[in-house]
Amino acid sequence: MAGKKTRRAVAEGGLTITSLMDAMTIILCFLLKSYEASDVTVTPSDDLKIPSSSALAPIKSTVQLIVSQSRILVDGEHVVNLQEYVDDEGRTTFEVPEDEKKGQLISELFNNLDRKAQDLKQIHDSTGLTEAEFKGQILLQCDRNLPFSLIREVMYTAGQAQFGEFKFVVVSTSGG
Amino acid sequence: MRAKKRGTTAEELNLVPIMNLVTILIPFLLMAAQFVSYAVIDSTLPAIGPPVETEEDDPDEKPLSLQVMISFEGFAVGGNHKLLNSDAEGDERGVKIPCHSPGCTYSVEGGEGPEDAYDLKELRTLLGNIKDDKPEEQNVILVPDPSLPYEVLVMAMDATREDPEGTSTEDADAGCNGRCLFPYVVISGGVGAASGGE
Repeated sequence: MAGKKTRRAVAEGGLTITSLMDAMTIILCFLLKSYEASDVTVTPSDDLKIPSSSALAPIKSTVQLIVSQSRILVDGEHVVNLQEYVDDEGRTTFEVPEDEKKGQLISELFNNLDRKAQDLKQIHDSTGLTEAEFKGQILLQCDRNLPFSLIREVMYTAGQAQFGEFKFVVVSTSGG
Repeated sequence: MRAKKRGTTAEELNLVPIMNLVTILIPFLLMAAQFVSYAVIDSTLPAIGPPVETEEDDPDEKPLSLQVMISFEGFAVGGNHKLLNSDAEGDERGVKIPCHSPGCTYSVEGGEGPEDAYDLKELRTLLGNIKDDKPEEQNVILVPDPSLPYEVLVMAMDATREDPEGTSTEDADAGCNGRCLFPYVVISGGVGAASGGE
């Protein structure tokens, strides 16, 4: 009699994973919905806070120019360091060091972007693909606290290197 | 009787292989998931070319040339339109929209943004009225102050591009939140910009 009771207790003690399975299925559905297969990576950090906007236009892969509070990068490659200073009004702001510039042109950035433009044109010439056509598009990821004077210098330099179509990356508040 | 009862007991489904699969899929999807959605705002440099010849006498033939200057005092809207006092001289030309607070300051620590300092409603109303009169116009030139933070520029781009409270028509306002105002934004050199720029 005692032996029978023990056997029954063991049989009923199996792990019930049905509820766990339910939770996993819900998580899986949620993650599949928020899955984004994009080759454009936006990595906000302490010195790169992307501003918010109600814009809806999706991001398309092209040359990426990142301007954070400390440096400028092109396609993840470090180009120039920025320096912090306090302006006449007492505001903390950022600028490209004078020895890195010729007027408004940021020399090292121009060389880098010019090389990119030549490479992209060469790819189009050798492949002949219409998708690879050089359109002068550039993705700009800029920190929200940067002064417009710095953005203007970056835009001017990009424009001189034949990148005249700017795409400012923003955090979409429209939920698109 | 006993044999019958044993026969109707349903066999439990083995969920362990599915669990294994789901457990592998979840970390992979967690890595690829985007919880914040990003978008882009298109803009170009001002085009350089010869001036377009227009009939000087007919104000309707003049291009609108809508400009929005953004500074630490607020917005100043200029262009060839009767709502923008285009016939006036000097400082009387254009329409000024001052900020809610002096110096357009806002407290980031207090959870405020530039939209709390600048009078966006007034700007959108003015641009909406101009758009009513010139529905074919799509361009606006933004002229920001060189010291202005980038987030204020983005906010101004939003305000000139669309009016979320405006009534939208499906054809004209595709791709905008609410009503499309002037979706093609050109950024100019800035107030007091150094020569040799754009």
